Amino acid sequence: MKNILYGIMYSFKEIKNSKIFYSFLIFALILISGSYFVSQTSFISQGRIMVDFSIFAISIFNIFIGIFIGASVVYDDIEKKSIFLSITRPVKRTEYLTGRFLGLAAAIIFSTVIMMFIFYFVLLIMHKFIVPVVPNAGAAVSGAKSVHNVHSNNVNLQNNSASYAASGHPFTFYTLPQPLIIQGLFIIIESVFISAAALLFSLVTSKALASIFAILIFFIGNVSSRMNDLVKPVKKIIDGKVVIVHQANHILASIVRFIYTVLPNFSIFNISSEAAYKVNVSSGMILYRAAYGICYTTLLFIIASIIFSKKDIS
Amino acid sequence: MIEIKNVTKYFRVGFFGTRKNAVEDLSLDIDGGKVTGFFGPNGAGKSTTIKMIVGLIKASKGSIKINGYDSFDYRARLKLGYLPENPSFPRGLKGIEIINYYAKLLNKKINKNEIYDALKLAGIFYAKNTQAHKYSKGMTQRLALAVSIIGDPEILIFDEPLSGLDPIGRKEFKDIIFKLKERKKTIFFSSHVLADSKELCDRIAVLVNGRLIKNENLENIEKEAAAYAEEKKEERLSGEYNTPLEVYLYDLMLKNRKN
Ligand SMILES: Nc1ncnc2c1ncn2[C@@H]1O[C@H](COP(=O)(O)OP(=O)(O)OP(=O)(O)O)[C@@H](O)[C@H]1O
Ligand SMILES: [Mg+2]
Repeated sequence: MKNILYGIMYSFKEIKNSKIFYSFLIFALILISGSYFVSQTSFISQGRIMVDFSIFAISIFNIFIGIFIGASVVYDDIEKKSIFLSITRPVKRTEYLTGRFLGLAAAIIFSTVIMMFIFYFVLLIMHKFIVPVVPNAGAAVSGAKSVHNVHSNNVNLQNNSASYAASGHPFTFYTLPQPLIIQGLFIIIESVFISAAALLFSLVTSKALASIFAILIFFIGNVSSRMNDLVKPVKKIIDGKVVIVHQANHILASIVRFIYTVLPNFSIFNISSEAAYKVNVSSGMILYRAAYGICYTTLLFIIASIIFSKKDIS
Repeated sequence: MIEIKNVTKYFRVGFFGTRKNAVEDLSLDIDGGKVTGFFGPNGAGKSTTIKMIVGLIKASKGSIKINGYDSFDYRARLKLGYLPENPSFPRGLKGIEIINYYAKLLNKKINKNEIYDALKLAGIFYAKNTQAHKYSKGMTQRLALAVSIIGDPEILIFDEPLSGLDPIGRKEFKDIIFKLKERKKTIFFSSHVLADSKELCDRIAVLVNGRLIKNENLENIEKEAAAYAEEKKEERLSGEYNTPLEVYLYDLMLKNRKN
């Protein structure tokens, strides 16, 4: 346990200092700040364009970090032989791998949080898209607030603060809308997920192939649900009977269905339309999708650690 | 201490994955408290054997036990220090950060003084705040040595410890081995340099083409060498090899080499 913790810290430090990591980070930050200029090309719904653009930048760069660092975090360690000294210490190989992987996960969380913060500040400066924190308005905030109210015995406070916020009182605290925060969380889950796939591939092939496979998996995982919809038989009700009016080739359909079921479905982590229209996502959906991502990631990681524990390292 | 029993290691090479033996049917006991030198030409399988001992690669056949534990069990490495050939460290971290990390992976508490002592002993203390990827080859070697001796391990396995060191470094390193030897550590090191054999070793093992062709005490092997020199009567004690032992080891390797 202690070893894993040190491994995480060490990997995190190493990744944080790596060129690839901060070049991606800096590039994403430039894009996020640049989203302002992109939004200026439109007269309407500039906030929505900024959100779309920035969320795209944040997710794509974190996925890049996940894929490229995931494919190299252990591979390079083996290639450069720096792994020789760590796994010949009294540590289990699984501990080492866990440390590396969670270190990368920490780096992804770190970069996503930084990017989201910068994004938040850009929105704050633009005064677009942010929502004032109004006591009693959000379910999560109200719990804490109402306790406060009970203690202070000041019933008027609630109404006052709501009107304060609406009138743009200097002390109003603004936050991102709920779907945007959830989108941030999903980006983390998605990037860690794809990094586990890249890590697994990098244990059996080269770094370049592992990255390519991971990108392919990511791409297919994003379109597979739409593909699956396309090959579903088209049914119509004619004279009270269900009639299949169009049926895709059976073999094709089953291949697509197979891909759809077996390969991870990444499209569920994209809630940019909800984010762009500030539609709150239900906690059931958040929970289900997060659990899907975490379980799949764990599965990939377990396979990786079984392969790794038998691997010849030389 | 370390028991290697009938170990064979093959690698799969080429497109069809044909087997290629790197080590064949090797049996070797490494005794506690002694210095064993492991000699052999390039590609003999020395590094492969060492990597099997430290649990980096798995023997295809046979077994390796360290203090009773299988070499793939992490407990086998509880008291083991390993210096790989051509060691290297991740980019971007300082020497001191690296050694701190490795010290933490040991199953005991290592205090700062111990780390400083190891760095001083290895002669790299002055560069502890430099990033390790900016080190020269010999400096990297010294840092790796410091890492391997931290925590005072009982067993030390060095793969070509003297390669890449300057004359001062070679002398210092030999002194370190002498010091460790006085403290009854078990040392197993591989080397190309035949001259190292007499100075350092209690025991000499010679590996050629993956086969162990000699595993003797220094005294016995010196006797054999003397007898060999007597028999040959040839004046060869000049040039590269200038002691009977070196000539004997050299001829042994040459004779058994296949290619
Ligand atoms: N990962 C590997 N895959 C395939 N063959 C390998 C691998 N590692 C080593 N070999 C082969 O095993 C043999 C022994 O290699 P090894 O590195 O053990 O030699 P060595 O005695 O350490 O040589 P040197 O003195 O040059 O360091 C060589 O023929 C080498 O080609
Ligand atoms: Mg070698």
